[in-house]
Amino acid sequence: MPLLPLLVLVPLLGALAVGLTPRGAVGMQRGIALLAMLLAGAIGIAACVDFDGASSSAQHVYDAAWFTLPGESGSIPVHFRLGLDGISVLMVGLTSVLGPIVVLSTFGHIGERVKEFMVWLLVMHAGMLGVFLALDLVLFYVFWEVSLVPLYFIVGIWGGERRLYATVKFFLYTLAGSLVMMIAVIALVWRLGTTDVEQVLATASTLPHGVQAWMFAGFALAFGIKVPVLPFHTWLPDAHTEAPTSGSVVLAGVLLKMGTYGLLRFCIAPFPAIAVAAAPWMMGLGAAGIVYGALLAMAQTDVKRLVACSSVSHLGYVVLGLFAMTQAGVRGGVLQMVNHGLSTGLLFLLVGMIYERRHTRALDQYGGIASVMPVFALLFAVAMLSSVGLPGLNGFVGEYLILLGAFEAKPWICAIAVLGVILGAVYLLMATRKLLFGPVTRAENRGLPDLNAREVLLSVPVVALIVWIGVAPNTFLDRTSGSVNALLVRIQAERNAAAVLETGSPRSARAEER
Amino acid sequence: MGQIFDEQAWLAVAPMIALSAGVCLLLLLDVVAGAAPAILRARAPLLLASVVAACAFEIRALGTPAAKVLDGTLAAGGTIPWWGLLLLASLLVAWGIGRGYYREEQKFLIGHDCLMLSATVGMMLMAGAQDLIVFFVGLELLSVPLYALASFQRSRSTSVEAGVKYFVLGAFASGIFLYGAALLYAGTGTVSLDRLREVGAGSPLALAGAALLAGSLFFKVSVFPFHLWVPDVYQGSPTPVTALMATGTKAAGFAFLLSVAFLLPREALGIVVAIALATMAAGNLGALVQTDLKRMLAWSGIAHAGTILLGIAAGLAGDPVRGGVESATIFYLAAYVFTAGGAFGIVAKLESETGRAVTIDSLRGLAKTRPGVAAAMAAFMLSLGGIPATGGFLGKYLVFSVAVRAGLVAAAVVGVLLSVVALGYYLRVIVAMYMLPATEEQPSGESRPWPSLFAATACAAAVIALGVLPGFLLERL
Repeated sequence: MPLLPLLVLVPLLGALAVGLTPRGAVGMQRGIALLAMLLAGAIGIAACVDFDGASSSAQHVYDAAWFTLPGESGSIPVHFRLGLDGISVLMVGLTSVLGPIVVLSTFGHIGERVKEFMVWLLVMHAGMLGVFLALDLVLFYVFWEVSLVPLYFIVGIWGGERRLYATVKFFLYTLAGSLVMMIAVIALVWRLGTTDVEQVLATASTLPHGVQAWMFAGFALAFGIKVPVLPFHTWLPDAHTEAPTSGSVVLAGVLLKMGTYGLLRFCIAPFPAIAVAAAPWMMGLGAAGIVYGALLAMAQTDVKRLVACSSVSHLGYVVLGLFAMTQAGVRGGVLQMVNHGLSTGLLFLLVGMIYERRHTRALDQYGGIASVMPVFALLFAVAMLSSVGLPGLNGFVGEYLILLGAFEAKPWICAIAVLGVILGAVYLLMATRKLLFGPVTRAENRGLPDLNAREVLLSVPVVALIVWIGVAPNTFLDRTSGSVNALLVRIQAERNAAAVLETGSPRSARAEER
Repeated sequence: MGQIFDEQAWLAVAPMIALSAGVCLLLLLDVVAGAAPAILRARAPLLLASVVAACAFEIRALGTPAAKVLDGTLAAGGTIPWWGLLLLASLLVAWGIGRGYYREEQKFLIGHDCLMLSATVGMMLMAGAQDLIVFFVGLELLSVPLYALASFQRSRSTSVEAGVKYFVLGAFASGIFLYGAALLYAGTGTVSLDRLREVGAGSPLALAGAALLAGSLFFKVSVFPFHLWVPDVYQGSPTPVTALMATGTKAAGFAFLLSVAFLLPREALGIVVAIALATMAAGNLGALVQTDLKRMLAWSGIAHAGTILLGIAAGLAGDPVRGGVESATIFYLAAYVFTAGGAFGIVAKLESETGRAVTIDSLRGLAKTRPGVAAAMAAFMLSLGGIPATGGFLGKYLVFSVAVRAGLVAAAVVGVLLSVVALGYYLRVIVAMYMLPATEEQPSGESRPWPSLFAATACAAAVIALGVLPGFLLERL
């Protein structure tokens, strides 16, 4: 039985089933949504477990003809083609794990229009999985934009006070990038005469360099906005702050990863020569994002906004690692995508839980929560330390690999990025102190109930994974090795070619340096 | 006569004959109704029968090879039956959303239906014309009924104003067309497109004629700088008529524009691209500041005309692209017919329930009171914005892909960025329906039986179907 189409279909069927329930039947809607997510999660994890990490080719491939586009010489068939490889496998796993957790978390804060919410959540789940699984360029683009719409509704309907501003800004920012990417997709499909991702990856590097550079730029803009890379980051704190908890978790956990995943899959892999040339710039932007995001986070008084800004910083690491384009850097980058999803996702969940109790996100409204809510404090400390990068937890492995890779590639940029590690510890520890420790200064905080069974239940799998990756990262890293190695071989070939040019003709060497 | 009317010629004119027969029978019905009013109930079945017959003829003609019939004056086969079906769909949508829309004009409805049918005959003639005179006949057969239809609600001053405005400017455009055709004839000695293709519009006289021709067509399809009549006329006309104008007229105009595009020299490419981009900019920026939904849709229609024109401009760039241009245009317009038609349908429904113009503000809270209507409207807005899983996306993809193939990459990038602006106002509709609380008293919850809802639902289904299974149409074009 083909696993992957089922993986996309199950949430969609779940959405349909939720849509057919009567409006008032909240329990039924929640139950169906949770069931669909659990089922999809089980399928997703099964697919990830049954995956040979040593191979670089796509596995579990499902292929069906969809329609044909008119092309230069005859028509270009577009396929509904799904597959799992070393670059997408961890993302699919992460999405699958977070799905049911997000549904569970909504029981606490989504009380109105539950039906609509569950429908959007399930559609978004299918869209995100589709983005990671698609092995057809047009299909990828369709899923990419489809996954945009549900979050627009989720933030816009169930968000905070400034939700309309935040959601329209999010939508238009992302769409602007996506549409430029559409032109790049069109050009690529037309030039290569195929929409099959594997063929595109194999043949795109044969195009003239100037054309490749424009296409790279088109894709990089869309993904850069989504990640977000530094100058395009302003939509993120707004969207995160205004989104309901579950929206933030999906946004931080999975949606942003579509950007970094895209950078690796559709910028670096098809255009290695351009990526080599652009690497210092992209690494520089990554490092700048790390430091700038950390400084932003330090200045926040709103705890949710603080976590959102820390996202900018953490995703800077991912960009830095991917564009270091060394063994350690890329593997670290891929792992850090998962790490960020887990630790920041958990932080958002926990911030949401305390918000549900106190209805404020201002840090100065808290203090001494550790003595009132010990279980909460424990979980928060774990998430925070994972985010800081404490050895033994997942963050350390990812950040260490990334910094190692960046040092191999560009030591100076790495030196700047390391500042972010220190700053990260500063703002996270400061926030933790203000939130958890010290005396309980406010009377409202005295009687706060600790986490209930549901809240603990949904946090435990995340904590387990945080520790697991920290202690035995190879379980996860091994699954990526085949694909990452194949990619690095091609990049090395480009570097060698560039080096030959450098020694052969001084003019092009100067161009390379520039 | 015998040789001229071969089988393919009959098949080419059969749909028009079916619709014209419908007109005659409806008029007869009106005469008989004086004696037996009950017979008026046959109005809808009669109209539907003639449209279904026309559709059947078009479907039979699908797949026949492209040819010229009737002494080379009319195109048949090839893509022509698709254009015919497109126009018939536009008629059905416009007529469907008009069911139950009119209150005071009940006794003139037969006239309304006759005018809609004959306007559609005119559109079909325009789409197939291979001769400037035949085209002109089609143009007038379309325009004159539309002038009357625009002012159909005589008790509403805006409707009368729309009719007059459309008439004055439309007559002017017709005059320009005739002048252009005369100059072309003076320069080349022919009005047949076939002969013009051989001779070419090289002489200054002929070039001037071609430019005038283009100008009058740009008027009909609402392209910058001939678009200023659109918002007023679309807003003032009865909504079903607006739907017909927005979808059918536009489609027929673009169909003919495709077949006369060869008259423009390659050097005109830059100008046409500039006009297309200016149209998109004008339409999108104009729509951005509207508060009235119908008016906003009118401006958005201008922007869509600009997008289609960009595809046609790409056809000027080179022969290999040209085939792709027509299929992209047909697909784009097919999606547009159902999307805009459906959106106008919902406007019509809300208008006739409240008796007031529909502003974006008045949609607030619609998602709670009318989830189905709001969902359909949201789908239409996303399709107009070109978001995937709707027909609008693939239409946009195809049009921009012919532009990229013709080397107009910079224009395509500017175009897509302008469509980001478009999302700015499409989203406002969704924001109002889904994200803002209702303020004023909602349109009375008692919902009358509403046949036009069927048209809107069918449109929504078609929009989604075109987005999810585009191959059904795309592979046959």
